[in-house]
Amino acid sequence: MLKIKGLDKRFLVNGREVVALQNIDLDVKKGEFITIVGHSGCGKSTLLKIIAGLQSQDVGTITCHDRQILGPGTDRGMVFQEHRLLPWLTIRENVGFGLQGIDRKEKERLVEDHLRLVQLEGFGDAYPKQLSGGMAQRAAIARGLVNNPEVLLLDEPFGALDALTRIQMQKEVLRIWEEEKTTMILVTHDIDEAIYLGQRIVVMSARPGEIKAVIPVESSNAKDRGSTEFASIKKRVLRHFFAEEEWAAVEYAI
Amino acid sequence: MSNNRTRRYLTGSLLPILIALGWQAATGMALFTPAILPSMDRVFKSFVEMAASGQLAEDVLVSLSRVVKGYVVAVALGVVMGTFMGMSDFLHNFFSLTLNAIRQIPILAWIPLIILWFGIGEESKIAVIVLGAYFPVLVNTISGIRQTPQGYVEVARLYRLSRWTVFRKVYLPSALPQIFVGMKLGLGISWVAVVASELIAASAGIGFRISDARSLMQADVVIVGMIVIGVLGLLMDKALSLVFHKATPWTR
Ligand SMILES: Nc1ncnc2c1ncn2[C@@H]1O[C@H](COP(=O)(O)OP(=O)(O)O)[C@@H](O)[C@H]1O
Ligand SMILES: [Mg+2]
Repeated sequence: MLKIKGLDKRFLVNGREVVALQNIDLDVKKGEFITIVGHSGCGKSTLLKIIAGLQSQDVGTITCHDRQILGPGTDRGMVFQEHRLLPWLTIRENVGFGLQGIDRKEKERLVEDHLRLVQLEGFGDAYPKQLSGGMAQRAAIARGLVNNPEVLLLDEPFGALDALTRIQMQKEVLRIWEEEKTTMILVTHDIDEAIYLGQRIVVMSARPGEIKAVIPVESSNAKDRGSTEFASIKKRVLRHFFAEEEWAAVEYAI
Repeated sequence: MSNNRTRRYLTGSLLPILIALGWQAATGMALFTPAILPSMDRVFKSFVEMAASGQLAEDVLVSLSRVVKGYVVAVALGVVMGTFMGMSDFLHNFFSLTLNAIRQIPILAWIPLIILWFGIGEESKIAVIVLGAYFPVLVNTISGIRQTPQGYVEVARLYRLSRWTVFRKVYLPSALPQIFVGMKLGLGISWVAVVASELIAASAGIGFRISDARSLMQADVVIVGMIVIGVLGLLMDKALSLVFHKATPWTR
């Protein structure tokens, strides 16, 4: 459904060229859950922003259902690390923020449906700052989904949450994904999170930002953090982040 | 909460009480001649006389109406122009150097030119107020708009909202607290400006009354005028605060 071909992106930083993305190829199937892991600065956010249409690539093409992506569109939703709910709008207004040009009744219905989906019914009239971090992020997910996009892009959505809330939110997202069947691409630097959520894990390296490996998570056993499958996938992912001579020590530690 | 508030007001009213006591003591001991510092009694009597004759009400109404007219025009101009300059880098670069230079010129220095251009009628008095109140509103609107977090603008871009909608739903509410700061500063300057403007051939108004009383050596009338301006300005400032508080429920 989403086809990324030969994507390059460079930035000029203080007169020096930084290759943020190099030769990125990725095909995402409809309904798939893709997770992307990599060090910070390897171009993960840039990749998501290009898919969202907020930035443009230097080279390469992205198509969604064979249509070129040239700018933002309601077929793609996005959730950021900070919830980015507008402080002056209530949760209800925030969730409905992107719903333009539709009948008011329909809008109300969609907003209520999505508040229920993220289990925030009853908080519609609250302002964002009255919500906890996890609840605010759930509202942001509702806002991202309310347009019924083909794909939801999540850029380290739980990075700012405490460990327990994060685990709860991961479950929540999995449930939403199963309910809505929306294609999801989630960026994280938490390898456990990538394994727990992803059907395929895209491992990226920095400078230049490239895809090093795409690791499938086939067995459903792998979703159990205590399973041997989980541990073995974790090893396969970690393997890409360490040089040969470091690996022995790292392998021993996990 | 309300206990806290009572304490705040009590603390705040200590200084005026002390000043009044000091004033009373100084005049009681005849430290100054009445021409320099009249007694509180004397000032209060003048106040009652001016109020009874209807002169005070007339002066207040005349000045207040000038302040309101000039202020409203200044706020409208400042917010509209500040929004454009805040949202467009080109307009910002085009205007800011010139406007910054003009901003440095004190209102008093403008008065001769304003008289030449607008004459000595109402227009020139209102022009002085507009000129005084415009800049704080403008500068704060620009800075409020420009400080809008780009993350929110990015969210709006995701949904391809029109520029007008982005302004209404993102830039304006984000800038509102800062615009309010500018509006409060502008209101204060409006009172400065109205007194200055009434030095131009006026026949009524608190500013006129003060300068008229000065030439007649009536320090008591001068003080009545000053206190009236202080109290009116304070009331209007509080009223604005109340409106702003209601207009930005999310900041509570
Ligand atoms: N707008 C920008 N201007 C200049 N350089 C940028 C910009 N955005 C990202 N970069 C650079 O591109 C690289 C990748 O950034 P980013 O996509 O944010 O990485 P990640 O999300 O993986 O941490 C970094 O080196 C960053 O400094
Ligand atoms: Mg990032």
